[in-house]
Amino acid sequence: MPDAAERLVNLALLLSSTRRHVTAEQCRAAGLGYPADQDNVAFLRMFERDKDALRAAGLVIEVALDPDTGTEAYRLDAEATYARPVDLTAEELSALRAVAAAFADDAAFPFREDLMLALGKLGTAGHQGPVATTAAAGSDVAQRMPEVQALAEAVRLRKSVTFDYANTRGDQRRRSVDPYGLFLREGRWYLAGLDTGIAELRTFAIDRLSSLDVNPRRPRTPDFERPQGFDVRQQERLPFQYGPTVTPARIRFEPGSAWRAAGLSRGHGLIDDLPDGSRLWTVDFSDLEVLASWLLTEGPGLHAVDPPELIATLAIRLKEVLAAHG
Amino acid sequence: MARGLDTSMRARRLVALLPLLRRGDRVALSDLAAAVGCTAEEVAADLTTLTMCGIPPFTPFDLVDLDIDGDQVTVHADPPGLDQPLKLTAPEARALGAALEVAGYAPDAPLRAKLAAVTMAAASAEELERTIRTGTAPGGAAETYAALAAAAEAHEKLRIAYHTGSTGRVSERVIHPWAIVQRLGVWYLVAMCEAAGQERVFRMDRIRAFERTGDLFETPSGVPTAVVPDPGGLDVAEILFAPGSRLPDDRAWPGVRIEVLPDGSARAWMPYRTTAWVARRVIAHLGEATVVGPDEVRRAVRELAAATLQQVQ
Repeated sequence: MPDAAERLVNLALLLSSTRRHVTAEQCRAAGLGYPADQDNVAFLRMFERDKDALRAAGLVIEVALDPDTGTEAYRLDAEATYARPVDLTAEELSALRAVAAAFADDAAFPFREDLMLALGKLGTAGHQGPVATTAAAGSDVAQRMPEVQALAEAVRLRKSVTFDYANTRGDQRRRSVDPYGLFLREGRWYLAGLDTGIAELRTFAIDRLSSLDVNPRRPRTPDFERPQGFDVRQQERLPFQYGPTVTPARIRFEPGSAWRAAGLSRGHGLIDDLPDGSRLWTVDFSDLEVLASWLLTEGPGLHAVDPPELIATLAIRLKEVLAAHG
Repeated sequence: MARGLDTSMRARRLVALLPLLRRGDRVALSDLAAAVGCTAEEVAADLTTLTMCGIPPFTPFDLVDLDIDGDQVTVHADPPGLDQPLKLTAPEARALGAALEVAGYAPDAPLRAKLAAVTMAAASAEELERTIRTGTAPGGAAETYAALAAAAEAHEKLRIAYHTGSTGRVSERVIHPWAIVQRLGVWYLVAMCEAAGQERVFRMDRIRAFERTGDLFETPSGVPTAVVPDPGGLDVAEILFAPGSRLPDDRAWPGVRIEVLPDGSARAWMPYRTTAWVARRVIAHLGEATVVGPDEVRRAVRELAAATLQQVQ
């Protein structure tokens, strides 16, 4: 008895090489590896599963109705299945190879297998020597990858999820969420979605959720519509932007550090070029202490301009540091 | 037999191998394994399975025809079908997009558009862009990263202008780019610095400018790929945190060891290479962290706090 993978490859080869559409019954009789003693219902179930597995591999299966019998018949839609060669520059190839090598052994990258198969299809994998690698991000991150994979599929297929979530104060309760999107920041994954219990958009740190369940009913039918115009990039905030109030701050980048503004702002706020070569960044904040700490971490070359409370906080706290180290 | 891999995933890998098998090819098992992201043993098992696959009537001419001899695979005939690369599926496009975005390729980068052209119609690039974001690098970083990766591959020396985070100074140096390492969304270049005469780790987002020199270098064997300094041999600063402080974790302070005391305060031991590096992290805790010793770190904190205070006032 051939194994299941062998049967799937045989079916794929038949569908790709046949000129005429073939019916399920013809596939069964072709010796692809379907069990001879199987009843018709079990066979048809297996055949459906096999077609789904081939679709997941990237085969687009064309369906035609036999005009005589009215039964479905199948063959590969070559135009929709095969990729035309991609014309990549030498640097793009280097970048793809570096990305491949960096994530190939990264237990904290949730889409590793899909990535390797994608690079295999592009013919860019298989580079000799470790030009790039990923430093182990810690086992705690790697342990969360099954949740990230499951949530990424739930986002794609628009299936509702439930999970236990512990907030920063350690309070834990069960949430029901329509998952809209995922983002990664500093090696940590976040889920953005509608918390249906309170009907509000919320962001969840995936390393703080547990007992994740994806709605198993009607797996091919979406449970919800994502709001039109939803963009996960708008959910990703800077560390000092979490909190109930929003206040604008102005930060000046010295001329020698002005080039860092684009990277550090990560697309938030507005950056103005000043005549002396410095840059002024106007950005919203919610947590004054976290903003003060962020400025000191990212300095030198960054200066608080507004609001006065930010400058006062920095001055008071730096005096405390001086007193403690006098 | 590949253990722990479900049938559907294994079938995907088998299908991905088919276009790589061309009549007359002699390829190394290890190359095929790298091409589909598995071990040489797994790919040998996959190829053995493929030799049993074919199309009706399954005569020897209708089967995948190859021999494995040691590490070499000899392909005797083109596969009987699926001999061209397939388009990317939605999960594959998602994986590639997520990885490229970590490397600084924004959704509108030309490379992303080229890849969208070989993705199945059902996978919408726009939907992906709206639902998954992994990018942390600033716009324009991708070109830098690609050029640095190309130089590392070509073993070509680079001249860089580098911004040192703890001091804010930009210095020029010639480096031998050995390896590119990604940790927690930040990309680093591990390189030999000619001026320092030893290995250095550079954050790629702090390389302000670079140019390729055309000079080649030899990469030594066993290139280190750790971007966090090995704590062995480094000096250690002892730092006290007031009760209720936000405590640093291993992401922000790599290598830190923390002991929480009964009164809620905490004692931390932090390996360091330069005092400026620890001092900047200590002042960012806004007075909640006090260095117990050594004295050189206490002095560095005092000097940095005084200099920063002067700028603030």
